[in-house]
Amino acid sequence: MNERSSRILVNGNHAVAYGVKLAQAQVVPVYPITPQTPIVEKISEFQAAGEMVVELMTAESEHSAMSACITASLTGVRVFTATASQGLMLMHEMLHYASGARAPIVMFNVNRTIGSPWGFWPDQTDSLAQRDTGWIQYYCENGQESLDTVLQAYRVAEKVLLPAMVMHEAFYVSHALEGVEVPDQEVVDQYLPVFDPPHRLDPDIGESWGNTVGQEMFYRHRRDLGLAMESAIEVAEEADAEWRKLTGRSYGIVEQYRCEGAELVIATMGSMAGTARETVDNLRDAGLPVGLLKVKLFRPFPLAAVRRVLNGVPKVMVLDRNFAPGTGGFLHQELKAALYGLEQGPVVHGYLAGVGGTNVSPTVMADWVREAMATQPAAGPVWKG
Amino acid sequence: MLQFVIQGRGGQGAQTAGEILANVFFREEKYVQAYATYGGARRGTPVSSFIRVDEEPIRLRCDIENPDVIVCFDPSLLNEVLLKGATDNTWVLINSAKLPEYFAGLGKFRIVTLDAMSIAQTNRLGRMVNTTLVGAVAGLLDKPALDMLKKVVAEMSPAKKEENVKSCIEGYSLARERRLSNGGSE
Repeated sequence: MNERSSRILVNGNHAVAYGVKLAQAQVVPVYPITPQTPIVEKISEFQAAGEMVVELMTAESEHSAMSACITASLTGVRVFTATASQGLMLMHEMLHYASGARAPIVMFNVNRTIGSPWGFWPDQTDSLAQRDTGWIQYYCENGQESLDTVLQAYRVAEKVLLPAMVMHEAFYVSHALEGVEVPDQEVVDQYLPVFDPPHRLDPDIGESWGNTVGQEMFYRHRRDLGLAMESAIEVAEEADAEWRKLTGRSYGIVEQYRCEGAELVIATMGSMAGTARETVDNLRDAGLPVGLLKVKLFRPFPLAAVRRVLNGVPKVMVLDRNFAPGTGGFLHQELKAALYGLEQGPVVHGYLAGVGGTNVSPTVMADWVREAMATQPAAGPVWKG
Repeated sequence: MLQFVIQGRGGQGAQTAGEILANVFFREEKYVQAYATYGGARRGTPVSSFIRVDEEPIRLRCDIENPDVIVCFDPSLLNEVLLKGATDNTWVLINSAKLPEYFAGLGKFRIVTLDAMSIAQTNRLGRMVNTTLVGAVAGLLDKPALDMLKKVVAEMSPAKKEENVKSCIEGYSLARERRLSNGGSE
């Protein structure tokens, strides 16, 4: 237990709100949507209690909320918003604009099924479908990790000047009460410098953003954006290492758990990593050499880290709580591409597991491991329930 | 790990019951994880609340399949889905004026019945049976400690604090009696 923190019982969404308060976000444009709403409700309570000095703007849609985020961020203030599912879909156009404008907004997205049909269940398809919008993406498995990652995301986003979205899943994380260490403000102040971008919209300075550009300039702008995204890997690793020094907690951009000598590694993201840890321990106790690769940073994709962890591992079983019709699970696709050409790379089973929020217990996960160990993988995804 | 499933109907306070237990165990420095079904919850529709309690950090992020305790706020909710993971070691606490034998056909569980509705009504709490039933859980399991439970119930009751604490104690005492008369340990 850290002396410079307090331990409180909160749900995952409220843990996020504590992170935003500690980051001292100055402008928070919002539009409510289940299961995200408790995040902005809590921020509103902080404001009402005088614990947070923030401009909380209620917009008429998520598209407008994101538009407000971009313009506010370009004036050089720290900006936060939160959304989920349909709300994120409606923001899509402005997500591209935000990264193009190099606005280091931090947004929290609570992963929820996208309609139709209507549902409120944990499923990562909403944010994964935004993987090409130029946003940094982090996936978290519990409230503590979400709080810590919001702070890390600000540090990374503001250094590389790209927006970042942080995710946890509906229900199992967003609405689960757990003990969470909330660091003292002075710890965070030590960690997160004041946001002071090189350019900002300010009548006294006289800069603008949004003019039409020629092909060459567009080309250079995209290339620069790509370089910034690439540099985010190292910056994210450094941000995590610094957080460890201050709080003792760190997560890595990927995490390998009991992978030594593993004949099969389970690869997954988000809350299922917790259940997978339990499964790995159970199977190791039963004598099966199994490990876990948790991919926490999904954008930029941690190519080198993934290749390092999986080099020499015979088999990988990817569990995707998300689904892209026509190709399958997102992590399955990305992992296969990342491993291509690796001489001692694994064969990869791609299991669609927990899509739509279905329950994945350690018992059923262990059954899948045994099955994957005994069979050759299919080229495409396999529906597992 | 100790795992609870609390099944009620929207408006009966099943979710709050889960939060009360989570708070008490948290203050006893246990690791807890508590969540409830949401989204479709309206007055009268089924609401499930799930709680895990452990000495170690809780990593599981899935449904509770083998609960140690099932608390049922309304006998009409006793169905196969609710009971499927129950074993002969599972406590099934039912809010009912009937004897446990009446429910014996449900399966070989440790069934305990308690007329929480009449306790709540005597204490002018209407249909809010949750504080009586969390007291009963503590009486059945001999944990969490009654003193801490009373404190949290008082803190978390939006109104009628004394009535809620009184119901909680009555639920505790009755359940404790039933555990002891069933040959349970002191």
